[in-house]
Amino acid sequence: MRAWLAAGRRLAALAALAAAALPAFGQAWPAKAVRIVVPYPPGGPVDVSARLIAPRLQEALGQPFLVENKPGAGGNIGADYVAKSAPDGYTIGMGAIATHAINPALMANVPYDPIKDFRHLALVVQVPNVLVVNTELPVRSVAELVAYAKARPGKLDFASGSTGSTGHLAGELFKQMTGTYMVHIPYKGAPAAVADLLAGRVQLMFDNLASALPNVKAGKLRALAVTTLKRSASLPDLPTLDESGLKGFDMTTWWGLMGPAQMPADVAQRLSAEILKAMDAPEVRDRLRAMGMEGSSVRTPEQFTAFVDAERKLYAKLVKQSGAKPD
Amino acid sequence: MAIKSPKDFWAGVMFIAFGGGMAAIALNNYQMGSAVRMGPAYFPTVLGGILAVLGLILLARSLALKGEQVARFHFRPLLFILAACVAFGYFLKPLGLVGATLLLVFISAYGGHEFKWKEVAILFVVLFVFSVLVFVKGLTLPFPICPEAIEDFCRF
Amino acid sequence: MEILSNLALGFGVALSPFNLLMCLVGVLLGTLIGVLPGVGPVATIAMLLPITFNLSPVAALIMLAGIYYGAQYGGSTTAILVNLPGESSSVVTCLDGYQMARQGRAGPALATAALGSFFAGCVATLIVAMFAPPLAEVALKFGPSEYFSLMVLGLVAAVVLAHGSLIKAIAMVILGLMLGLVGTDVNSGVLRFAFGISELADGIGFVTVAMGMFGLAEIIANLEHKGAREVFTGKVKHLWPTKEDFKRIVGPVLRGTFLGSALGILPGGGALLASFGAYTLEKKVSKYSAEFGKGAIEGVAAPESANNAGAQTSFIPLLTLGIPSNAVMALMIGAMMIQGIAPGPQVMTERPQLFWGMIASMWLGNLMLVVLNLPLIGMWIKLLTVPYRILYPSILVFMCIGVFSLSNNPFDCLLMAAFGLLGYICVKLECEPAPMILGFILGPLMEENLRRAMLLSRGDPLVFFQKPISASFLVVSIILLVIIALPNIRRKREEVFVEET
Repeated sequence: MRAWLAAGRRLAALAALAAAALPAFGQAWPAKAVRIVVPYPPGGPVDVSARLIAPRLQEALGQPFLVENKPGAGGNIGADYVAKSAPDGYTIGMGAIATHAINPALMANVPYDPIKDFRHLALVVQVPNVLVVNTELPVRSVAELVAYAKARPGKLDFASGSTGSTGHLAGELFKQMTGTYMVHIPYKGAPAAVADLLAGRVQLMFDNLASALPNVKAGKLRALAVTTLKRSASLPDLPTLDESGLKGFDMTTWWGLMGPAQMPADVAQRLSAEILKAMDAPEVRDRLRAMGMEGSSVRTPEQFTAFVDAERKLYAKLVKQSGAKPD
Repeated sequence: MAIKSPKDFWAGVMFIAFGGGMAAIALNNYQMGSAVRMGPAYFPTVLGGILAVLGLILLARSLALKGEQVARFHFRPLLFILAACVAFGYFLKPLGLVGATLLLVFISAYGGHEFKWKEVAILFVVLFVFSVLVFVKGLTLPFPICPEAIEDFCRF
Repeated sequence: MEILSNLALGFGVALSPFNLLMCLVGVLLGTLIGVLPGVGPVATIAMLLPITFNLSPVAALIMLAGIYYGAQYGGSTTAILVNLPGESSSVVTCLDGYQMARQGRAGPALATAALGSFFAGCVATLIVAMFAPPLAEVALKFGPSEYFSLMVLGLVAAVVLAHGSLIKAIAMVILGLMLGLVGTDVNSGVLRFAFGISELADGIGFVTVAMGMFGLAEIIANLEHKGAREVFTGKVKHLWPTKEDFKRIVGPVLRGTFLGSALGILPGGGALLASFGAYTLEKKVSKYSAEFGKGAIEGVAAPESANNAGAQTSFIPLLTLGIPSNAVMALMIGAMMIQGIAPGPQVMTERPQLFWGMIASMWLGNLMLVVLNLPLIGMWIKLLTVPYRILYPSILVFMCIGVFSLSNNPFDCLLMAAFGLLGYICVKLECEPAPMILGFILGPLMEENLRRAMLLSRGDPLVFFQKPISASFLVVSIILLVIIALPNIRRKREEVFVEET
């Protein structure tokens, strides 16, 4: 008798457990944790911005949003992972200018299509690059720099954070548009390049604003121009390259959140809306701005897709034009 | 020409294989460049060459100088330990931390000399609980605890 | 003196109850992840970044810094107990520390590591406080040529590390150099030796190689014979160093501290060289040099002091120039930026509480660590008495979790197993893993600097000898190499001679 009672109690408990678990099937998204894949190592600007947004998404949607780093191959590994992940709305990731515009043009076999394999959710950050020179260099404007460089072809070195980065391509485009010849010196990451720039071993660099700002403000580096068409809010007195004679020069470093192409449309729409709301939150916006990252006019997913496509085509052209390629 | 020092002999063979192999791959696939603009093949080829030469010296020496025998390979612990690690890695996602740890503990324990079922089982439970508490909850490492199949039932 | 008022300011900040708590949390967490093989500060700090958003900048950085040097303490613990180097700087501690543990002297080894680290930490913190700006200027003088030559010297030192055949040691160093080249080439962007495996695109991780060659190989070797490992539990002697031990460690600790402090200020590889530079120096100057590799206490004291001193002084480029010396510092820069602090030269002047508060808390953190670690020695010794059949699966679980968590990829476990196999083969062929691992760490850095130096000098190889600092390093390397080679050649010639007669 007692054995039956005991068994019956156990059965009831199991049934209750099952009943509690059942609602998991067919529940509205999100029903469990969502992963944000960052294709770069932790601590970098892309990673930091993801970690700023994740808690807000968690608050808004009620499920944990976990940042997972999958670095490698200039970001391609992480981007490919997102493209090929299960399209159930539980995996999204950061796609950057490197993974979606530059690498497809620069590298031979990128395993994904930046437009067709992704659902572009929201552009998160756009950062201009700044042309900075070592303070010992006797030039105070772009015009002076061009004259200086023309007088000594092959004598100037410009640094970049990596081969194929915006800094590298900006330099190549600059050379091409001004008819100067400078040697490109690649480094493993912007900080290493900045160190040699400060010491005078290289003369100039097209560093991104976030990294260059403190040194410019402290007077350790001299900024000559920004690479965007519009002036930067952080350095309003700095002319643009377009204003300085390189007509039409417009390069930014950017990244944004994306998911696999086949993810459910309503989930994508909801995510896009929530991401934009998260970025508009004063706390997030101020923190991003303090890092030199300015928001962007690209708001809707359709605008984002159009933007990525435009960038992809632009860099395909630029890479060919400048002849920048792995040596 | 007897091999007087098997340890040196096989070490030499290993170095020749690695050095020569990598230099060959580098030469075949990547640019050498010049001393000014060293291509991706430059350093590996030079190093590979030096390594192969060192291997040859070892080989030659092994034929001349007396040395020790290579100690016996014990394949059982070798295979079981390595298999256990690989199993953990590849079964973590499908079977969750619980399944992967189970495989790791049991396979590696089986590779040792003393295997008592109850002891290993208790060890597994202790290690599993500890790992969940410290790694998943404490350090928030993104590991799935339960197997994929019953993921929805797993409400940890 | 200005420095006193600055330090007063710093301690005022660091001793606030909340900041003290954060320091404690940081060092505790750091010790934990240092002890757990495979889980490193990078992963942990990344996880904790969001928490730091809610803390004040000073508190956040104090905690993160605590994690960093706490991990150094923890890493030496596993190096000594189970031959697993948690950090690249603990590799050298494995050499003599583990041997000491095998002889039942794990207690003195652990105590030496803790005390040496504390002394070094104190001195280094003082150096940071007093000489940060001028030392930063010195660091800037190191360009690619200087780094390359320094690394050549480091490699020669790596050869000295070995106590077996010279040729095998050099060969292992070169093997390590070559394995380090796997991955994307910095200068050209070309993917090398990856065989189409995309996970290898960023090269092989240090943790994977270390876990495999040191940890797995050791476990497999221990499982060969039943009872092969009972050596440990049999003769645990004192828990504390003897009077003679103390006399012997004074010199190494002093030398290690200063060498480590000097090398730590170089961003990009300085701290790595500290520990094995100190070991080599000690081996050359000590009258007990024959014992090195078999459990000489100097072999633990010197590298441990050096790596902790280097860890403290590597904050100098971070705090004065905003240049990170390693991945952990890069994360801290990320944390600073999130807090709205732009890292760079102005941090010292614009935010003195942050700068001096951090320095003061570094000293406090070291104090906490030594107070924490010394009593724990007894516990660690007890752990060693656990029967090996229970111990080794536990170690394996932690190792695999750690390695997997690097990039959440099963391939890393496979790679670790491959290196385990390589490590086991090397044990059988009497080729030492330590020189290989040091070559592995230095290889890519050496190549990067060599190529960059050549680019900048437009192909002139004499540049290495034209720059004074670089030239002096190369000259020392050549001298050192000759010193090592001569006795060896003479010995081998004698051996052959004996064979012939």
